[in-house]
Amino acid sequence: MLNDIASFLNNQVSGCEATAHTPEVGDGNVTVKGEHLHACAKALKESSEYDMNVLQVVSGVDFEDRIEVNYMLASFTKNTEFILKVKLPKKSSDDVPEVDSVCDLWKAANFLERETYDMVGVKFNNHPDHRRILCPDDWEGYPLRRDYKVQKEWAGLEVNPAHKVNSADHNFFKDVIEKMGGDQKKVTYSWKSDAEA
Amino acid sequence: MIEINGKEIGDLSELSSEKIKSDLLTLNMGPQHPATHGVLRVEIKTDSEIIAEAKPYIGYLHRCFEKHAESVDYRGVIPFVDRMDYLGAMAMEWGYVQAVERMLGTEVPRRAEYIRTIVAELQRIASHLLFYGVYAIDLGAFSPFLYAFDEREKILRLFEELSGARLLYNYIWIGGVWNDITDEQLRRIKKFVDNLEEEVKTFHNLVGENKIFIERTANVGVVSEEMAYQYGATGAVLRGSGVEWDLRKKKPYGIYEELDFNVPVGKGEKGQLGDCWDRYHVRVQEIFESIKIVRQCLEGIEEGSIMGKVPKVLKVPEGEIYVRTECPRGELGYHLVSDGGKTPYRLKVKSSCFTHVSMLPEMAPGQMVADFVASIGSIDIVLGEVDR
Amino acid sequence: MSGLTPDISDFASKDNLIAQDDLTFGKWLKNIWTAVRTCFNGMVITGKVILSRKPVTIEYPEVREELPSNSRSRLFNDVDNCIACLQCAAACPVDCIYITATRRDKEAPKLKTDDGTPIKLDLKQYTIDTALCCYCGLCTTVCPTECLTHTTDYEFAQYTLGEMKYDYLAEDIRAWKHRIVKA
Repeated sequence: MLNDIASFLNNQVSGCEATAHTPEVGDGNVTVKGEHLHACAKALKESSEYDMNVLQVVSGVDFEDRIEVNYMLASFTKNTEFILKVKLPKKSSDDVPEVDSVCDLWKAANFLERETYDMVGVKFNNHPDHRRILCPDDWEGYPLRRDYKVQKEWAGLEVNPAHKVNSADHNFFKDVIEKMGGDQKKVTYSWKSDAEA
Repeated sequence: MIEINGKEIGDLSELSSEKIKSDLLTLNMGPQHPATHGVLRVEIKTDSEIIAEAKPYIGYLHRCFEKHAESVDYRGVIPFVDRMDYLGAMAMEWGYVQAVERMLGTEVPRRAEYIRTIVAELQRIASHLLFYGVYAIDLGAFSPFLYAFDEREKILRLFEELSGARLLYNYIWIGGVWNDITDEQLRRIKKFVDNLEEEVKTFHNLVGENKIFIERTANVGVVSEEMAYQYGATGAVLRGSGVEWDLRKKKPYGIYEELDFNVPVGKGEKGQLGDCWDRYHVRVQEIFESIKIVRQCLEGIEEGSIMGKVPKVLKVPEGEIYVRTECPRGELGYHLVSDGGKTPYRLKVKSSCFTHVSMLPEMAPGQMVADFVASIGSIDIVLGEVDR
Repeated sequence: MSGLTPDISDFASKDNLIAQDDLTFGKWLKNIWTAVRTCFNGMVITGKVILSRKPVTIEYPEVREELPSNSRSRLFNDVDNCIACLQCAAACPVDCIYITATRRDKEAPKLKTDDGTPIKLDLKQYTIDTALCCYCGLCTTVCPTECLTHTTDYEFAQYTLGEMKYDYLAEDIRAWKHRIVKA
């Protein structure tokens, strides 16, 4: 089915370079070029053959060099579903890639795209209400990026101040190692935090 | 024509609604509001009692469990997914567990599948009973809540004996279930569902057929079929709009293929198709269907092991999968991306409550504030699942 | 005169605009009749419950509910049987178990747990931050000597967060071993 969809998209939208990908494990997907996403989604929604009338979820996945945005499309009339994927290249870790919004096709996209923007950091062009949704408006960074770091300071407040961190239990093993004469091999401990140890 | 100080200002009837809209009153409903079922804030602009605009603000219960999931192993995610929809935790677990099992290719023993179906359907009954009680409270009736809780308590007690916890079970594990169910418990479930059927009929008589309740819910908060598709509504909201769509029938998982049950849909009996009463009625009928499923499972349950073969250190092969299950509140989807490691690379949850909340801005305009409360109640959201 | 009194049609989408039939006198009477009849039905159901059903609540501090035997409540670790394998700490999804142990001297007398597993490590710290614990039960399932168990104790509220931290090597908590009987 994925191959049919890919060839259908290649026919309908010139230059979208739709490729079907069917792995051995898990679900396959159809990947299209980012700039043609809206046209592809429109073609799929309006075609009588596929009739993708429901957008179930927009799921952004952050990789080192790119952000993949997955559109889980389904047809509740034909009982089919598949993943439409775009790969948006990311130049640096702060880079916010852009893709066209599909809000005018499915109203569900409004909240879903806002969530993807908030969590993964993808800008959706022509979105009617492009704001953060789960985090506060003044949040910095995109939490679901793999390289997201919790701020040291936020709005003049220290994040996780030392007196609030349970360092006595986290670092109990350090005292024990000291008492054992600094022989690390003799001590086993469960708390291995990279910041403290 | 009206003249003021010699100036014509036009006919009164030509005063457009634009003029009135500039005088709207902004009202914050929530986050601490009994009718918003948790910490949902809706900023509504009202013209006296009529809502002109509603904007939901969510995120007050946001814990970013998706980020947590990236740092704990596959088994450790289960307690987190419990905490999304804390009123339907068994169903939440089942979806996640299925996603991992399909990636691993694990065969689940038949007995475990039966137990899973029983607990998931009991969970659906518990969740719908809670909806029934809370919805009655939203509309001003108190005693149905107590009756529903009395019945729900029996299910929770059983779950506590099975899994050890009342709400956050961590019972359905990758490959099977944690504890085996005893014959005594099966007998108790049988007795309970036999009794429940009568009770739910009484409940429906008490609330659903009541004239006041019908006046409050019929023709209120109408969701048409087209709108439901547009917003990706699922579960009782979609079925209330007259669409026969149930994943247990359309894309069967577990042992649902072998079970015989119907999919109740809204028929617009008391008002327009897709109004609050239809959604309420779909849920009540679903309780009966769940009872039917539980009965069949009790008869068909097989002896055998309850855990499949799962490696001690779970490493899911590289790839991605999107798995949907039918939960009490609608479809729940897990998009699991694995890079072959011990922890998920990315776990994205499609929450039905989230999509249902996004329908509020379109449902609200033109409603009375009290009707809006009925609309929020009828889509049956749990903010833990909306915010995740 | 639209505009002076609020009008639904100003705001509503077409789905919310529902044409209502005109109310005739007959319909008005019928409405009243159904309202009275259905409300009376409800009152009959409520009356039956008042007369027939016994109270299902219990008077809490005087009457205490006994939880089922595999309830997951307060954690207890029997440190005499603990071999410090760190599996519970690894399984914990919220990282609330802190363990430190040192290697036992070869000359020291050999110790064994109740089920015969040799103890090779001296436990120096076994602390669980109960305030962080999510009572998921994953730590108890991986325990090889079954020394870490959930008990059915459910009354352990404290005034400060620090008091929620249980040091299982402390004498007063060790004494629970004889108090708590786990089925």
